[in-house]
Amino acid sequence: MMREPVSEVAEKLVGEALRRGFEEAAAIVVRRESTMVKFANSEVSVVQRWSSLTVGLYLAKGGRILTTEVHPTGLEQVGALIDRALAAAEQAKPSFIYAPLPEPERVEPLPGLVDSAVVEAMADPSPLAELMLSSASGAERVAGALTLSYTERGVATSKGAKLEEASTGLEAYLRAFVGESSGQWAHGSRRLSRDAIRRVAETAVQLAEMAKGRPVDVEPGAYDVVLSPMVVGNLVNLVGMMASAMSVLMGTSIFARVEPGAKVASEKLSIYDDPRNPELLGSASFDDEGLPTSSKPVIEGGVLRTLLHNSKTAAKFGARSTGNAGLLFPRAWALRVAPGDAKLEEMVAEVKRGLIITNNWYTRLQNYVEGIFSTIARDAAFYVERGEVKHPVTRVRIADRLPKLLSSVEMVGRDLYDVSWWEVSPAVRAPYLLARGIGISRPTV
Amino acid sequence: MQEDLLQRAVDLALQLGASYAEARYHKHSGASLAARNGEMIGYSESVREGVAVRVVAGGALGFSATSLLTWEGVRGAVEGAVKLAKAHARFMRRPIEFAEARLGRARYEAVAAKPFDSLDIGGKLALLSEVWDGVRSSVKEAKVLTVTARYSEDVEEKAVVNSDGAYVVSRVPRLTVSYNFVLAHPQKGTIQRTETFGGSGGLEQLEKWRVPEEAAGEAARLENVLLNGIAPPRGPVDVVVGSEIVGLIVHESCGHPSEADRIWGREAAQAGMSFIKPGMIGERIGGRHATVIDDPTIPGSYGFYLYDDEGVPARPRYLYREGVINEHLHNRWTAKLWGTSSNAAARAMDHNSEPIIRMANTYLAPGDHTFEELLEGVKLGVYMRSYMEWNIDDIRWGQRYVGLECYLIENGELTKPVRNPVLEVTTRSFYSSIDAAGREVRFEAGMCGKGEPSQGVPVWFGGPDVRLRGIPLGVVA
Repeated sequence: MMREPVSEVAEKLVGEALRRGFEEAAAIVVRRESTMVKFANSEVSVVQRWSSLTVGLYLAKGGRILTTEVHPTGLEQVGALIDRALAAAEQAKPSFIYAPLPEPERVEPLPGLVDSAVVEAMADPSPLAELMLSSASGAERVAGALTLSYTERGVATSKGAKLEEASTGLEAYLRAFVGESSGQWAHGSRRLSRDAIRRVAETAVQLAEMAKGRPVDVEPGAYDVVLSPMVVGNLVNLVGMMASAMSVLMGTSIFARVEPGAKVASEKLSIYDDPRNPELLGSASFDDEGLPTSSKPVIEGGVLRTLLHNSKTAAKFGARSTGNAGLLFPRAWALRVAPGDAKLEEMVAEVKRGLIITNNWYTRLQNYVEGIFSTIARDAAFYVERGEVKHPVTRVRIADRLPKLLSSVEMVGRDLYDVSWWEVSPAVRAPYLLARGIGISRPTV
Repeated sequence: MQEDLLQRAVDLALQLGASYAEARYHKHSGASLAARNGEMIGYSESVREGVAVRVVAGGALGFSATSLLTWEGVRGAVEGAVKLAKAHARFMRRPIEFAEARLGRARYEAVAAKPFDSLDIGGKLALLSEVWDGVRSSVKEAKVLTVTARYSEDVEEKAVVNSDGAYVVSRVPRLTVSYNFVLAHPQKGTIQRTETFGGSGGLEQLEKWRVPEEAAGEAARLENVLLNGIAPPRGPVDVVVGSEIVGLIVHESCGHPSEADRIWGREAAQAGMSFIKPGMIGERIGGRHATVIDDPTIPGSYGFYLYDDEGVPARPRYLYREGVINEHLHNRWTAKLWGTSSNAAARAMDHNSEPIIRMANTYLAPGDHTFEELLEGVKLGVYMRSYMEWNIDDIRWGQRYVGLECYLIENGELTKPVRNPVLEVTTRSFYSSIDAAGREVRFEAGMCGKGEPSQGVPVWFGGPDVRLRGIPLGVVA
């Protein structure tokens, strides 16, 4: 079980579930090897390595849905868990979201998900750690992380799907400090690129350099904001989470009261879920129900085009699965924002009274249905007046409504960045954006 | 059996050249149940177990985790951790060293008075359906858009062995129940509430929590806020901050900035830094009511433990004492940097996680006022009982809490409901503005996130209601 191909393990577990009395089963088996170097104060704070096998099971009987997640020590242990689930099924009630597992469809393999250079670097990532630290030599100190991974993912269902896919991943992000100022940048990809790692470090240092000088408080109020790909990635992930049909059903979505076809954003804004693009860190050819994934717009020209469905939410909404199944929750695979045609300087030139925010964190909501939220700028942020960058600003908050922010996008950058870090996970491909009249706040006492 | 495997792992790491080695068997076994509008979504069982190995070799820290519980799997983890640490030793200007500590050789267990299996799944589902019934029946004019509810039980079993002599075996069961509801009105918009109950122990906690009754009561009160809520008064007013928000504030603006690894910069690119810098013990941050304690040893608490994951015995930590920065949260590494002793704050989420400095149960010390006494003498003010949105900057200074269930205080009495008032303060302004604290401490349960990869660990945060003088409130536009 520990060494067998993951799709074989998945198929065996499905057979086991059926033999023990379930009517339907899907098994997702993930074997993953990964290594992470974490930096702080320009030293290596820890090097971590993981080796794991994770099994997720979807089991159904009489419309009752049981799921399990286990790091199995052997087939017997999973068998015992299936028996427990079966006993639970006797006491459970039919699920309001139940629909039969889908009939398998042809899945076109997705080449290019594995980069052997990532696998090779995992054994000793210290040369890449060296590259990252040396590329940030202009900083007084840096902190960050570099992660390399190799994943095999297998899915089998009782409808006959049996699929397997391997992929690699690189995530690199760095926060650079120069005096009291800091800058942070991030990158995520399926492939190893020394240039990309170097750019992460150099961009972080450059932002920290630009933000040098005494930061000034800005008065709370409405401002034009230029958001960096780091910030856009964070907020686009929130949109992606809310686009899951399950979020709509659970009351945690701004799309709870609109239908596909409704205008939900500025016509300048298009957001795609693009799992068939092997450059993106979240790319995959099949979902957890064994259906093929597809690249599609979520928001196109400001119009909500589709929610993200598995076969269960699709049945509930009278839609087709979009190939976004997780065990129960549909989720976005690989979000990207369509590029515009503006250069960053052109966006800044358009700002009358505004801010450039290069990084953010701690996005929280007062109300998911109305999208009332705030998020806090960290690292380099600047006050801009009549197209001119005036000075760095202290930590401020964007505090507004998400639908308003989406509708206020006026310019979209032409360059795209593959961003992945603590606050942008899963990875997003994003440009700079300019939005007008966005609420900014900070403590006044 | 596992303990033998762990000792063997520690021995092997030392043979391979590690100066410190630690092996932890860590298992979570749990079940959860989710429902929407009283109807079942699904039932889930999970078992996550494995062995984590942490070593210091060549002055660098290596960590490796495996879910293979054979000697082959564990040996691979040990070899990997030592090899990776050595390969990165050249980056270390200050080799990792640990402070001396008296380490435990002990077994302990939190006991479920009513075991999880004393109620069948039908009974657990009935609890979630009662939440739906309670909300639905208590709301009169608004529409109930959704009510989701979740029941979750977990047993955390650990065995920690390290090369400095620790040998600690523990078992802690935890129960969590949460709900989320959205009420809607065609003219007034929507109002949303998420609430979590959590603690260590068994089903006996349900009798104390009375979750369906709480949900019903909240829904009725929040409908009143939705339908009749007014904007908060402009200009500085007195604010009575409810214990739920006080607990969150002390977690965010005392607990987190007191984590010594954060102060040192180890989390700078993730969970951020701290306004507290090395050498600031003894500096004033607030008034005499600002005493904040973090205590892992509270029986029944969500963040309960008696020994940390480095084997150090736990005790209450007085982070701020009467307005002065008094003590940080330490593991053995930061204790060495500060020239002090670990106060047992090292905790790991699961076998895939390195132990890092975490809070357990953080609370503001009580005062002597009744709730009525806190309101007395307030001519015009706002009582903020609960919140939804909050955040704090990455040095734990500027913070924002948006009130959910809130009321106007006029001449010492609660009058009209207030909608979405915003308390946006700095750490110093909050701790300096408290002029009275209530006599009753209440706790909330939450999952606290930190680390890379991010680790969510259960914590309680709490305190009494407090009164702040002269605070300008914002409002959500």
